[in-house]
Amino acid sequence: MAATFQLEIVTPTKVVDCGQVDYLRAPGQDGLFGVQARHTVTMARLDIGEVKVVAGGKQRFFAIGPGYADIHGGSVQLLVESLEEAGDIDEARAKSALERARQRLEHRTATDVDGTRAEAALLRATIRLHVAERG
Amino acid sequence: MASLKNIRSRIGSVKSIQQVTRAMKMVAAAKLRRAQNSMLQARPYANRLRDVLYNLLPQVDREQLPVLQVRPEIKRTLMVVVTSDRGMAAGFNNNLIRRAQDHIDKLGKENVSLICVGRKGRDHFRRRDYPTVASYIDFWSALSFEHATGLGAQIVGRYESREADQVLVYFNEFGNVMRQDIRLEKLLPLQVEEGVDIDTREVLFEPSREDVVAGLVPRHLNVQVWRYLLESYAAEQAARMTAMENATENAGEVISNLQLIYNKARQSDITKEILDIVGGAEALAAAEK
Repeated sequence: MAATFQLEIVTPTKVVDCGQVDYLRAPGQDGLFGVQARHTVTMARLDIGEVKVVAGGKQRFFAIGPGYADIHGGSVQLLVESLEEAGDIDEARAKSALERARQRLEHRTATDVDGTRAEAALLRATIRLHVAERG
Repeated sequence: MASLKNIRSRIGSVKSIQQVTRAMKMVAAAKLRRAQNSMLQARPYANRLRDVLYNLLPQVDREQLPVLQVRPEIKRTLMVVVTSDRGMAAGFNNNLIRRAQDHIDKLGKENVSLICVGRKGRDHFRRRDYPTVASYIDFWSALSFEHATGLGAQIVGRYESREADQVLVYFNEFGNVMRQDIRLEKLLPLQVEEGVDIDTREVLFEPSREDVVAGLVPRHLNVQVWRYLLESYAAEQAARMTAMENATENAGEVISNLQLIYNKARQSDITKEILDIVGGAEALAAAEK
């Protein structure tokens, strides 16, 4: 049995204790990175994206908001603004959000401030749908 | 003296008012519990973020990040005033609005942009022609963290575009059920207080120390805004609870006073009737003799 580490995901509205896990994959600023036990002490900036957790042969997937990962010794803490597990994502809602964002982008004008917001919404919805399909 | 029927109907209406105030008190108490829960849940995230940020900030060049730059001259102020949508909470909104307005007048209306959170503040400042650039209303009952991120992004955008050189926030802080304190906090430029010491010499920063800080700052601001909203919401419910408790008590007093008047009036009516009967009987007896 490979070594495990403690994983905790903290958001402003809840704390999810994942217990002892074997592997974590998180979306860093410069792309996905993996964490296993005895990882070097690291502080990593996290982008919005998908988090994969492997514990005891079981995989869990989460859609996360921006935040950072605090990796120290035998434990890892993710501090993220939002967190949704694959099974909890409302696919219909994510789909309609995706559609809305697409439409807004189609009608955008060059100097539209809402454009960047729509882009962010599009990205969020895409990620949520992607993660939902894993559930 | 009012007629018996009149008094009876007044007692009835005060009783139904008392029922309403009692119900409002109970609703406020339930909402307060929910708000306090949210405050507790936000704490681990907020505290950890603050500790890390305060620890890292002195190690990076503040000039690199627009929200960290301290401007040499403060000309324009963005003021965020957090009030509730509804009244019935004693001086909850009025005291805060008055303090904020005094402050704005001191800075000069023309140097201030206002963001009003809550209908009461928005209505007040709109009527008096204060420069409100944005307002958020009708969201308190469905309050969620997304409201904080939306407001946070709005504030940071206005600060970065140099529309404002500092951001001040007026909100009610939840002291305890009986006490709310009006607080003024400077959200931007970011103040660095003493944080706990975290040894970061051996830490690997991914992608870089500056990038990590640049990512932490907006998270920190959002959670600060979240705290303002939660504090204000809890304080509002507490204020309403106390106000409605007093109203229920007062209604009780009014009822017992009215009951007293009613009893006296009834008594004197009866006395009058007995007097009439006795008087009549005596007159009859005298006539028979």
